[in-house]
Amino acid sequence: MEFEAVIGLEIHVEMKTKSKMFSSGPVSYGEDPNTEVNVVDMGFPGVMPVVNKQAVINAIRVSNALHMSIDDVVMFERKNYFYSDLPKGYQITQQFRPIGTNGYLIINTTQGERKIGIERLHMEEDTCKQLHSWDFSLLDYNRAGIPLIEIVSRPDLRTGEEAAKYVEKIRSIVSFLDVSDGKMEEGSLRCDVNISLREKGTEKFGTKVEIKNLNSIANIQKAIDFEISRQSIILDFGGVIEQETRRFDEGSKETVLMRVKTDAVDYKYFTEPNIAPIKLSKEFIDEAIKTSPELAEVKLERYKGLGLNEYDSSLLLADKDISNYYDEAIKSGANPKLLANWIIGDVQSVLNKEGISIKSFKVSPSLLAELVLLIEQGKVSNKQAREFFAKMIENPISPKKLLEESGTSLISDEDTLKAIVKEVVDANEQSVIDYKNGKDRALGFIVGQIMKKTQGKANPGLTSILVLEEIKRR
Amino acid sequence: MKTVTKEVLKTTANKLMFDMPDEQYDQLVSEFDILIKQMNLIGEIDGVDTAEPMTFPFDVTNDYLREDVATAPENKEEILKNSADVVDGQIRLPKVVK
Repeated sequence: MEFEAVIGLEIHVEMKTKSKMFSSGPVSYGEDPNTEVNVVDMGFPGVMPVVNKQAVINAIRVSNALHMSIDDVVMFERKNYFYSDLPKGYQITQQFRPIGTNGYLIINTTQGERKIGIERLHMEEDTCKQLHSWDFSLLDYNRAGIPLIEIVSRPDLRTGEEAAKYVEKIRSIVSFLDVSDGKMEEGSLRCDVNISLREKGTEKFGTKVEIKNLNSIANIQKAIDFEISRQSIILDFGGVIEQETRRFDEGSKETVLMRVKTDAVDYKYFTEPNIAPIKLSKEFIDEAIKTSPELAEVKLERYKGLGLNEYDSSLLLADKDISNYYDEAIKSGANPKLLANWIIGDVQSVLNKEGISIKSFKVSPSLLAELVLLIEQGKVSNKQAREFFAKMIENPISPKKLLEESGTSLISDEDTLKAIVKEVVDANEQSVIDYKNGKDRALGFIVGQIMKKTQGKANPGLTSILVLEEIKRR
Repeated sequence: MKTVTKEVLKTTANKLMFDMPDEQYDQLVSEFDILIKQMNLIGEIDGVDTAEPMTFPFDVTNDYLREDVATAPENKEEILKNSADVVDGQIRLPKVVK
């Protein structure tokens, strides 16, 4: 039998705000356990939650990027459950009025373009981190209260590849909007997969299986592909799919059973009474969108407008920080195409070799731009520029200064160069005759003589032009 | 409406992973009896079925949002003072997953 997979994704994005969703407790990573907490995060009696403005702005920006309707009234509910990761015994979330509803995302797959519906986007708070040992669990509340965005897709995805592309695009959006680091391996972007199979051509959904603990985009694809084949085999042999939660096992590249779902948990949602409904003005929402950092696809169009091709643009946009570096560098007025080539080529190769990110790269965007400008103005040759670049990596000093120090500035002054050209051409009349008789090599000889005379300092491009002019005159 | 019997309470307690002496179950059953009678009394009020649940006494909104500025966290010792078992700055409890 031929089956079709029906896949929906729930993505949790941890925001990189300065303070928590409902408290002014700090948001930071890698600190000692329980040192980044205040009484609100711990759910002590009598504390009151107060909504973080930046978290709301972030949620508006992501909703807008996902083409969603934005609710202008912000309300929260309590999701009640009893578990050790919740200090208060409930999580504050947006169950009934998510800030964003009814959006979509276009993804490009090997099968072509697909439009994936997005049901909702809501804000909530993260839970505490639990560390499970062999016979006890340890609780670290530093993560409790960090603002989260949850994005729930419609069951529109059909393959592991589509799911991977979808998550990749969400990751790019939250990262370019400066909402989150979007790092799956560090848990700042987490993804749960719901997947069921149905006979191709039918409408009714099959029994849903949930896959958790996916820590990379590659694993999402692998887990889904495995799950499709697992469920297909069961159904082909007349078996029944159990409603269960599974996790992806890195080692075996298989999904394994975590628990069989019995009756659905009733979270007894009710309105969070400690947060009165907040009305967002049209100006507030518009401003949040207007001041939003550029998305990758917007930057792509801008780069194309600067004369970059799609491939080079995509290389710059593969990493938000690299594209920001580029944006900073082009402010200098240096040639955008030349700058892009330097970043994609020379800079990237240094980053790869040293295994560092552009943020730790010592040569600032303005220094790189200065170097590119010197090439453009014909003051340094490409070869010289590479030598300067190698020096700048060691010690990020101005290439202009390097040029002064080396004393090897190219002669680009037209009058100075014209005089030298005239002198050399006068001394090589035979070459002029040869050139006029069709021997192109004669031109190279004359340029070579000029280089010799100037110890290689004559601007090569300008020299060729001036020699040709001089020859024509004779 | 589901009748609250001793069995219902025992099942519920079991789901919440606790148990208590028999006489306390009996006491709880009789307390629920009174509660349910009172709820039924409210149910007799006209139009109560169609009334919307009310969370806020007035239908007003505000526009206050907190600026995203972090303040110094609470002292760790203070935060963990109520915890019975602390190991390496973390609260230790019996393992909560299988």
